[in-house]
Amino acid sequence: MQSMRNILITGANGGIGRSVAREFLSNDFSDHIWLGIHSHRSAAEEIREEFPGRVDLIELDVTDPLSWDNSLNTIIKKGGSIDVLVNNAGGHEDSLLATMSDDAWNRVIDMNLNGTFYGCRIVSKPMLAQRSGRIINIASLSALSAPLGQANYAAAKSGVLSLTRVLSRELARAGVTVNAICPGYIETEALSQMDERTRKAALGNVPMRRFGRPEEVSTAVRFLACSQASYITGSVIKIDGGIY
Amino acid sequence: MSEILELKQRIKEVLIEELMLQEQPDEIGNDTPLFGDGLGLDSVDALQLVVALEKNFDLKISDAEKAKLILRSVDTIAEAVTDKFPGK
Repeated sequence: MQSMRNILITGANGGIGRSVAREFLSNDFSDHIWLGIHSHRSAAEEIREEFPGRVDLIELDVTDPLSWDNSLNTIIKKGGSIDVLVNNAGGHEDSLLATMSDDAWNRVIDMNLNGTFYGCRIVSKPMLAQRSGRIINIASLSALSAPLGQANYAAAKSGVLSLTRVLSRELARAGVTVNAICPGYIETEALSQMDERTRKAALGNVPMRRFGRPEEVSTAVRFLACSQASYITGSVIKIDGGIY
Repeated sequence: MSEILELKQRIKEVLIEELMLQEQPDEIGNDTPLFGDGLGLDSVDALQLVVALEKNFDLKISDAEKAKLILRSVDTIAEAVTDKFPGK
């Protein structure tokens, strides 16, 4: 049994974020979960009610370094440490590059890449000081492929992978691990917004002939956060039903 | 052992413990350069060391220029810890 850990999950209101929270809460009974929420909070509030006393909601705009400062101060003050960070917040605004607005480019880079950078930076020092910690960055299959209409998102998520590898080397001596996960098509709200034709085309690319379930991602997150995964760092795990 | 010698011994122990060095405390000279040809530490060690000095000695090193001066050797770290370092 492991000791009590403080785990911060960003983008906790989304499908993967909720699943990651439930995965920890249902299996590691001493964990305390901090759900970083910004624009939406209803699903995160449900989780807090489902697991009374074990979940805190924390206002966190991942694109704002000051918001990260405030959140981390709260966690350290109330919880005493930050043990696991799951950088899950993100989003996309798709369009062909030739017609992509500056705003769409900047917002997506900000949300996905800068947000991950700020999060990694702020937990690095406390994790170095305690000589332990786990950072798990949720990237995307888009980082490894060349999806049409996602130049901004693919660039941001590729950046997340590079950041993950570099930081893993910088923190390795302190026993802090940094890994990334690249989910493919996962049954979340984002996927349900796809029209039927696009959905069928996407499914045609998956050798397993089905989309992934959020818990198939969150299981991997929990594994990377566990003590047995202490020698895994700088790794990228594809969870996509076998797409190449 | 005088207070300052005890402090230098403790600094060496922190160096070894936090940076997972293979040396013994008595193998590290008080004036041995920590970087380059001396102990051979690198920039990653420097970051870890800054964090470790704050944790163990409450020594806050706020910028890179000060860090360069303070992290030269066990002697310079000890001076900074005892508040004698002029750049602190």
